[in-house]
Amino acid sequence: MSQAIAFLWPAFLVSVCLVGIHAYFGIQVLARKVIFVDLALAQIAALGATVAFMLGHPAQSPATYAYSLAFTLLASVLLAFTRLWATRVPQEALIGVIYVVAAAVSILLIDRAPQGAEHLKQILTGNILFAGIGELHAIAPLYAAIGLLHFLLRRRLTGAGSLVWEFFFFATFGVVVTSSVAIAGVLLVFSFLIVPAAIGAIFARSFATQLAIGWAVGTLSSAVGLAASFAFDLPTGAAMVCTFGGALGLSGVLYAVLHSSRRTAWRMAIAAARWSMTAILAGSALQLVVAPRTDQPVLDAAEYIFPSLRTIYLTRGEQSALADASEHAERYRTEAERLNDMEGRSRSEGEALDDFTVARISSLLRSYGEMRNGEQFVMTEVRGRARQRVRWTVSFALLALALLVSPGPWRRMWAQARVLRLKGRPE
Amino acid sequence: MRNSSQTKSILLCFAMMLACAYSVLAWSALAQDRVPIVTTTTDLRSLVEAVGGDRVEVISLVPAAMDAEEYQPKPQDLLRLKNARLLVRVGLDYDLWLDRLLAQADNPDLGRDGAGYVDASFGISVLEVRGLSVGPGHAHGLGNPHYWLDPKNAEIITSTILEALARRDPANVSIYEANRLAFLARLETKLSEWETKLAPLKARPLVAYHNSWPYFARRFRLDFVGFLETKPGVPPSPSHLAAILQTMRARAVRIIVREPSQPERDVAFLAGKAGASVVTLAASVGALPRTDDFISLFERNAEALSAAASAQ
Ligand SMILES: [Zn+2]
Repeated sequence: MSQAIAFLWPAFLVSVCLVGIHAYFGIQVLARKVIFVDLALAQIAALGATVAFMLGHPAQSPATYAYSLAFTLLASVLLAFTRLWATRVPQEALIGVIYVVAAAVSILLIDRAPQGAEHLKQILTGNILFAGIGELHAIAPLYAAIGLLHFLLRRRLTGAGSLVWEFFFFATFGVVVTSSVAIAGVLLVFSFLIVPAAIGAIFARSFATQLAIGWAVGTLSSAVGLAASFAFDLPTGAAMVCTFGGALGLSGVLYAVLHSSRRTAWRMAIAAARWSMTAILAGSALQLVVAPRTDQPVLDAAEYIFPSLRTIYLTRGEQSALADASEHAERYRTEAERLNDMEGRSRSEGEALDDFTVARISSLLRSYGEMRNGEQFVMTEVRGRARQRVRWTVSFALLALALLVSPGPWRRMWAQARVLRLKGRPE
Repeated sequence: MRNSSQTKSILLCFAMMLACAYSVLAWSALAQDRVPIVTTTTDLRSLVEAVGGDRVEVISLVPAAMDAEEYQPKPQDLLRLKNARLLVRVGLDYDLWLDRLLAQADNPDLGRDGAGYVDASFGISVLEVRGLSVGPGHAHGLGNPHYWLDPKNAEIITSTILEALARRDPANVSIYEANRLAFLARLETKLSEWETKLAPLKARPLVAYHNSWPYFARRFRLDFVGFLETKPGVPPSPSHLAAILQTMRARAVRIIVREPSQPERDVAFLAGKAGASVVTLAASVGALPRTDDFISLFERNAEALSAAASAQ
C-alpha cells in the first residue's frame, strides 16, 4: 500500500504541473478552434527525433532534442499560416493533414531503420507512472517560464493578433507538448489539454474563472484517476484518461441540472435512459428469434447476475450436463495450472526435468486444453439448444419488457381505449 | 553495298539477342539452382541457412530488430511468397499476420497443406500451454512461442527444415544432412561453453519485461521471478509494479532483462528503485549488433548476462 503510494505521489505532482500549463493552453486552443493541434505538434516532434536517430544521434542527446525543437518550430510557422489559408478549408482540416503526414513519414523512415521504432514509441507513449522527481525538475521551471511569458504577453496572444504572435503561441505550445507527451503519452496529454478547459468553458465566461475551474477539476481528476489505477489494478494513463472523460460527462449532467429547469433535465435524462433500454431489449428479442445460437449479451448478463434464471429455461438434464461440463473444465484448468507450475519451478529448482518428461508435460497440457475447449463447447451447445427451444417465449417476454420500459404514451392510449370501449358498449 | 551493311547489322542484332537470351537463361539457371525460401523471422532464416548452406536463398519477411508481432506486411512480401518454394514460420500464433498474406499470395504450394509449408514449432515441447487461443502475437494463447531461445530446440527445428528441403530438392539431401550435423556439432560444443558461462547465474533470480525467456531459462537453469508487463501491450498498474518491487527486494533480484524493442525508461525506473542493473538481451537474430546468426545470438546473450553477474 505505502509502496504504491510512493510510486504515485511523483506522478501526482507531475500531473498537477501538466494540468497547470495545459488547462491554460486548452482554453486558448478551444478559443482558436484548433483542438487537435497538440497531436500534430507531438507527431512532428517525434518525426524530428526519428530523423536525428537516422542521422546517427543517440536518444536523449542534445542533438536529438535540437532536431525535435527545429521540427516543432518549423511546424509552428506552418500552423501560424494555416489561419490565413483557412478561408475555404477549416484550419482543423489542415492540422489533421499535418498530423497524418508527419505520422506517415515517421513510419516510412522507421521502415528503413527498425531500431528507431522504440525511439518513436518512447516519444509518443510516455507513462506517467514512471515519471519521477527528475522529470519534475526538468519541466516545472520550463512551464513556469512559458506561463509567465504568456501572462506578460496576454494582450498580444488573443488569437487575432499578427502572425508573429501566432507563431510565438504555437512554438511555445509545441515545446510544452513535446516535453509533456514524452512524460505522459499522447492520450493523457490530450485529456489534460481539453477536459479541464472544456469544463471551465461550461461553467464560466471569464478567462480567470475558467482557468481556476480547470485547475481545480484537473487536479481532482488526476488524484481520482491515480487512486483508481491503484485500487483497481489498472494501467495508470488509461485510468486517468477515463476519469477525465467521466469528469466531463458529470459536468455536462450537472450543467443541465443547474441551468435548465431541474424537472426537464431529469425528465430528459430518464427518457434517454428508457429509450436506450427499449432499443437494447427489442434488439436482443429480435436477435434471439433470428439467430438464437449467436452471443446474447443481454441474456448472458442476466444469467450471470441471476444464475437461478437457468433453472427456468433449462431442463433438469440440461442443467446437470451444464454443471458437469463446467466442473470438468475447471478440473482440467487446475490440473494444467499444477503441471505448468511444476514445470516452471523445475527450470531452476531441484533436479532438472529431462527433455522427455517436458515433452510429455507439454502434450498433456495440450490435451487438457483441448478437453477444456471441448467442455466449453458442450456448455455453449447445451445453452444454445435450450435458447433455440424457448426463443419465441423469451423473445415475446423481452418485447413486452421493452414496451413497458419505453417512454411511449401507453397510459394515455390505454385510457383512450377504455373510453372508446365504454362508448362502443350498447346501453 | 547497302545490302551487305544491312545484313551485317541484322546479324549483329541477332547475335546480341542471342547473347542476351543466353545470359538470361544462364542467370536464371543459376538462380534456379538455389532453392528460394522465405521465413517469417531472422532466427528461422539463420537455421535454414545452417541446413541449406549455399544451396538455398533465404529471405526473412520481418527485418532484423523489428518486432515480429507488430509487423505490417509490404507489397514486396507477396512477390517473395509467390516466388518461394519453401515457407518456414514460427507458428503458435506468433506470426499470425502471415495467414492473410498467404491467402493473397496465390501460391497454393505454400498453403497450410502444401508441400512447401513448414511450421517450425512442429515437434517442439511447448511450454506454458494454457489451452485458450486468445489472439495474435505475444498473447501466448497457444503456449509460449519463444521456443527458439532454447538452443537445444535447434535440433528439432533443423530436422523439420531438413525434411522439407529433402522434399523440395531430393538430389542434394546428403549435403543438407552433412550441413545440419556439422551445425549441431558446433552448437553442442558452444552449448557447454554457454552453460559454464551462465552457471554463476543459477542462484540469482531475474526479472524481465516480457515473458520471452522460459525456454532459455529451462536450458540454462535460470529463475525468472516476475515480468513488468502483465499483458502484452498493456502498461503495468501501480499495484503490479509494487508487487514486483517487493519480490525483487525479498529475493534480492539484481538483474532486469530487457529486449531492445522494450521501453527503456520503464525498466530503468524499476531498476533504479530496486537497485538492480539492466541487461539488454536479443531475443532474435540481428536484434543487437554481433547477433548475426543463431549461435552468435546466444554467444552475445551469455556474455552480457555473465558480465552483469560478475559486475556485482
Ligand atoms: Zn511473447
